[in-house]
Amino acid sequence: MRALILRRLLTALPTLLAVVILSFLLMKVAPGGPFDSERALDPATEAALARAYGLDLPLHEQVWRYLLRVAQGDFGPSLVYRDFTVTDLVAQGLPVSLTLGALALVAALAIGIGAGLFAAARAGRPVDHAIMLAMTLLTALPSFVTGPVLALVFALWLGWLPVSGWGDGRPAFLVLPVIALALPVAGAIAKLTRAGLATALAQDHVRTARARGLSPLRVLVRHALRPALVPVASYLGPAAAGLLTGAVVIETVFALPGLGGYFVQGALNRDYPLVLAVVILYAALILLFNLIADLAYGWLDPRIRG
Amino acid sequence: MSAVYAVAGLEVHAGDRAIVRGVDFAIAAGECVALVGASGSGKSQTCLAPFGLSPLRAMGSARLCGEELVGADEARLRRLRAAHTGFVFQQPLTALTPHLRIGRQLDEAWRQAGAPRPDRRDLVALMARVGLDRGDEWLDQYPHRLSGGQRQRVMIAAAIAHGPRLLVADEPTTALDAGLRRDVMALIARLRREEGLALLLVSHDLPAVAEHADRVVVLEEGHVAEAGDAARIFAEPRADYTRALIAASPRLTDPPPDLPLAGGTLLEARGVAVSFPRPGWRRGRIAAVAGVSIGLGRGEGLAIVGGSGSGKSTLGRAIARIGPADAGAVRWQGRDLPPRKAMRPGDRRLIQPVFQDPVASLDPQWRVADIIAEPLRHLRPGLDAAARDEAVARAIAEVELEPAIARRRPATLSGGQAQRVAIARALVAEPEMLLLDEATSALDVLVAGRVLDLLARLQRARGLAILFISHDLAVARRLCGRIAVMDGGRIVEEGDMEAVIRTPCHPVTRALVAASA
Repeated sequence: MRALILRRLLTALPTLLAVVILSFLLMKVAPGGPFDSERALDPATEAALARAYGLDLPLHEQVWRYLLRVAQGDFGPSLVYRDFTVTDLVAQGLPVSLTLGALALVAALAIGIGAGLFAAARAGRPVDHAIMLAMTLLTALPSFVTGPVLALVFALWLGWLPVSGWGDGRPAFLVLPVIALALPVAGAIAKLTRAGLATALAQDHVRTARARGLSPLRVLVRHALRPALVPVASYLGPAAAGLLTGAVVIETVFALPGLGGYFVQGALNRDYPLVLAVVILYAALILLFNLIADLAYGWLDPRIRG
Repeated sequence: MSAVYAVAGLEVHAGDRAIVRGVDFAIAAGECVALVGASGSGKSQTCLAPFGLSPLRAMGSARLCGEELVGADEARLRRLRAAHTGFVFQQPLTALTPHLRIGRQLDEAWRQAGAPRPDRRDLVALMARVGLDRGDEWLDQYPHRLSGGQRQRVMIAAAIAHGPRLLVADEPTTALDAGLRRDVMALIARLRREEGLALLLVSHDLPAVAEHADRVVVLEEGHVAEAGDAARIFAEPRADYTRALIAASPRLTDPPPDLPLAGGTLLEARGVAVSFPRPGWRRGRIAAVAGVSIGLGRGEGLAIVGGSGSGKSTLGRAIARIGPADAGAVRWQGRDLPPRKAMRPGDRRLIQPVFQDPVASLDPQWRVADIIAEPLRHLRPGLDAAARDEAVARAIAEVELEPAIARRRPATLSGGQAQRVAIARALVAEPEMLLLDEATSALDVLVAGRVLDLLARLQRARGLAILFISHDLAVARRLCGRIAVMDGGRIVEEGDMEAVIRTPCHPVTRALVAASA
């Protein structure tokens, strides 16, 4: 177990490095630069700015200098939000985004596994089909549709919850964005859980459990659920990626001061240091989730641990 | 004494169709009734359907401790299963929940009839009763850490933990190798005596049934061919079907078969060694076969016999040059036979394999004709389509299948038909030696008997050398005049089959002989 974690962390480093270099080069290939605007700067000023930020150096030198600084924990100054370092901006947005993402993941797992279990317990009956249809719809609907619809119904019409904003992190403000972000992922998890349970329930050890006269619920939860969740664990990595990208949209829809806004603005303005920092962060999160998925396998099925 | 479990006019229905009809028997405490029959005879359904453990519906009457099971609702069935019955199923590999420790599963079984939570000592004592000492260690293990025999013992421990009155054992030994079968059946018999359990045994291991059952119900395609006292049925069977069943399971007490004479040396293997990496990261290698030398004559049958994990399959594959080998040389009529990839194309036909699982070894997407023709396409590319079809038709006839089978796909074949197709595929290549790796173990007794007859005929007609890998001495004896017994990757005893059976020297051989007696 410890060996697995260590090995994964070691292999994560080259992956991260590749991600950084690739994003760096891609950013440079895209036309335009951080100091382009409608009104052209005079060439002398532009040259001075480029020199100040090291943009006039050969490409490999720029990558090298960047990596050196990142290795020391310095993500550099933002090129667009003058007066701020990238670290300042990330420190501001990250808590909001992490709260949103973590809650959405928990909600997606709870809703998804719950719905899958419920449907499997009533396999073949109308309820089962209805739940699975609803879950397919949820997966198909993008969050920029569900987000505004939820806001319309629960905030504007019913007035139960605030429409948008952060509200200094008060729970009421988080409910709608978390649910809007979680629903598509929950749909996918529900379908995986339901399919996994169908397979697990046909297995021999479930017959042994039934032969013991256990209640159907106990058979389902204790003997069938864990093997059924193996596909869900495999989905954790992609789900984390989906939540991160989904969060960019949701933060805009609900006007939350998360990382997503900076990411979009940074990309549009060619704010290289800001975009790269966010990319590194996202990549690290996805790698982390893949590691968690691998650890989850071992818990779900001890045979994988060997 | 009143019966613990009594079945009268029992039927099992799949939809509107009755697949089992008119079964009657009663088991008193301490008695054993066995249901026997070929696969598909409905014996498992007869045993499981009344308890609600099969998707099929039971009709008629099945009374457990005086309470009617047929027509009872799910909650009542659950209560009756929990209170009075213990079940042992066929597959010890899959019948235990993989993610729960042994202790948790035994604890669950202990409390299924409402007993208070057992403490650790209770569970260790329970393990000891099924012959698992060191139970204290095993309690914290997951099932996959245990061997097949140990798992089946845990299954039995779980089945008796709550003090049931009826033990239902559905093919409890079929998945185990010959030595373990005996031990597990002896354990069940001992528990039956000690606890006064009524035992309902489903099995196609007739020698075991003859030894343990008081009464036998012989099922043939869903109806009772014969029923009665076990000693009488085995001594003087009345139904033809029963006679066929008894004749089909070979025993060492049968007279030795008349085998073709072996010719000069065909194949010689020297110092064959195979090892595999241990699972996990940097844990070294396991030696599966440790320097084995063996030879085989033209037209000779050589049996490689041993328990599971003894390395017999690995050795067979290494000799046939279809599996890996770390060291050693294989010579074919005096010249070196390299691994299959480096082999001269003409030499690839020489040794052809037939494996254990007949359906899994055929590509489900292909038609039978294409499956059989495949070796020809590679070994004799010059052959035109008409000649190929003719060779396929000849092979189909040779394995005694109907010509129409050529158009079917593997999923629609029975186990016996699929294994005949696999044999036909091996034969079209015109081999001089067959590697039969447990080729009849997955088949039902009757079917296996007929496939063995077919193989014996082919052996004689074609002068085929046969390397027969098996865990069952009596089956191997049908085709092989010589035997090599393997244990722990080495040959521990080798010689003439009849001589080894008469005077086995090594303890492993003695156990194998005892298991097939």
